[in-house]
Amino acid sequence: MDIISVNGITKTYRQYRRFPGLIGSVRSLLTRQYTEETAVRDISFSIREGEAVGYLGPNGAGKSTMIKMMTGILVPTAGEMHILGSVPHEARKMNAQHIGVVFGQRSQLWWDLPVMDSFELHKYIYKISAPTYQNNLKFCMELLSLRDFIHKPVRQLSLGQRMRVEIAMALLHDPKLLFLDEPTIGLDVMAKDQIRQFLRTVNRDKKVTILLTTHDMKDLEEICPRMIVVNKGTLVYDGSVLKLRDRLGDERRVVIDFREEPGTIEFPGLTLLQEEGLRKTYLFARGESTVFELVSRIASQYPVEDASIESEDIESLIRRYYQQLALDDMRNRDIG
Amino acid sequence: MITYFMFSVKAFTNQLAYRAEVWLRLLGNFVTILIQVEIWKAVIGSGNVDGVTVEQMITYSVINTLLSALLLNGVSSKVDDSLKSGGIASELVRPLSYPLYLLFDGLGNSIYQLTFTVAPSFLIAWLFFGILPPSSAANFIAFLGALIIALIVSFLLGYFISLLAFWFMNHFALSWTLNGLITVFSGSFLPIWFFPHYWASLAKALPFQYMGYVPATIYLGKMTGTQMWQTLALGMGWIAALLVLVQWLWARAVRRLVIQGG
Repeated sequence: MDIISVNGITKTYRQYRRFPGLIGSVRSLLTRQYTEETAVRDISFSIREGEAVGYLGPNGAGKSTMIKMMTGILVPTAGEMHILGSVPHEARKMNAQHIGVVFGQRSQLWWDLPVMDSFELHKYIYKISAPTYQNNLKFCMELLSLRDFIHKPVRQLSLGQRMRVEIAMALLHDPKLLFLDEPTIGLDVMAKDQIRQFLRTVNRDKKVTILLTTHDMKDLEEICPRMIVVNKGTLVYDGSVLKLRDRLGDERRVVIDFREEPGTIEFPGLTLLQEEGLRKTYLFARGESTVFELVSRIASQYPVEDASIESEDIESLIRRYYQQLALDDMRNRDIG
Repeated sequence: MITYFMFSVKAFTNQLAYRAEVWLRLLGNFVTILIQVEIWKAVIGSGNVDGVTVEQMITYSVINTLLSALLLNGVSSKVDDSLKSGGIASELVRPLSYPLYLLFDGLGNSIYQLTFTVAPSFLIAWLFFGILPPSSAANFIAFLGALIIALIVSFLLGYFISLLAFWFMNHFALSWTLNGLITVFSGSFLPIWFFPHYWASLAKALPFQYMGYVPATIYLGKMTGTQMWQTLALGMGWIAALLVLVQWLWARAVRRLVIQGG
């Protein structure tokens, strides 16, 4: 069953033009010039119950806007959207009961109350039954190790502690669907790891559907098998990480240590990237032959001491994808 | 309902953090009442003006000064803060009615003001200037009803202003205007009795009178019987009309909502 279905969603904002300087601000008072900015353009996708999906894109791609529309806070300009079977902005209150939301850059906690009091308030707001509350609290306290600071006021927590508390709170009412807007932003490696493990457990054991936006590719690798990539408001990729790798061509780095200078090596698909004496780094685009065949062929013809093959990590894969998108964009602009 | 009541409790306890405010507010109330008492003593003297005695005017001023501490039109600055900081996103992802949340939060503040500044100020004013008792039991009951109407009308007007802020992205000028209208047309400083005929009819055709003039006039027995109950019924009518207005506006405001800071 589709828990999220998004069909041709568009969101435009009016951006009022401001004129610079003192005279300019007086002018702004009298004229109202605006441009229509499209944050989300004709996006469609659907997510089945139990999936974990990463929603990616460079800054300003319209990721947060999409999450806010899915939680019913913002109203789409055009298109159709169903979350848990209903239109989110029409059923905001009802849907909120079954949705957990974490905004990485915005706290949902009560700043001056101890963590435990925020949880208690949450219990009232979501009308959580006592046994459910106790179970979920225990689950989160253990897996996110909240025990040490559960009685501290929120304002005294470190960012990592606060984020763990935010995530715990978003899950206290047994949501079917969890939205996370950059949940690991600004955290140290330890805190990130703990949060990723926790989210994986929540997705696997509690069957909570997860949709998260992130800039951290490790989040994707560890939590989300599927990713949706948006750029300038448009959906540009929807599928698995592996397939994107295929689509961009499977490029690998090969580092070879030679015993003596081999001179120029020419093979189809091979480009020299870097030279440090006898250690040379090549980029190999897979064509007819596999990378292993290539290495063994080089080894049979040249004095090879050692060779290592590095698979391109997802981070540089995405980086390359963004660069390619920016390039396409420029080309389109030149034509148009 | 218990859920919303929790917000009142929270607002109440939040206020407890600012205890120095209590003393300043007591002082402020005292000074405000003192000034009005002195003015009315100078204007009315020992006789009466249009059948209003100086004692009645003092009671009128005390009631109005203290009532203004309880009113909820400050709700617009709270909404404005959430709009500007983008915090409204966190408030809207909860399964709550936004206006009810605001109302109960405001009520928590009012209950705090009632306990810590209005009740003590009332005692102080009674000791220093003397306050007349309510004119009759029926009038006292009607006065309590009028107080509730005053709170709700002030909330709805403040909320109305904050919804307009969805278009203007700034509430300051709007709430400034609202406060000006309230000061004049609620009759809180100059009772509507003393308004010239034309202005008096205008004031009585507006909802602002419920935030000062109506409760105080009922308390003093300057309005009784049928006229009193009719005025209260009209107040309920205003509440209904404002409710329809804010509901209609809310549906449009959400479409305008822009969340600041991504």
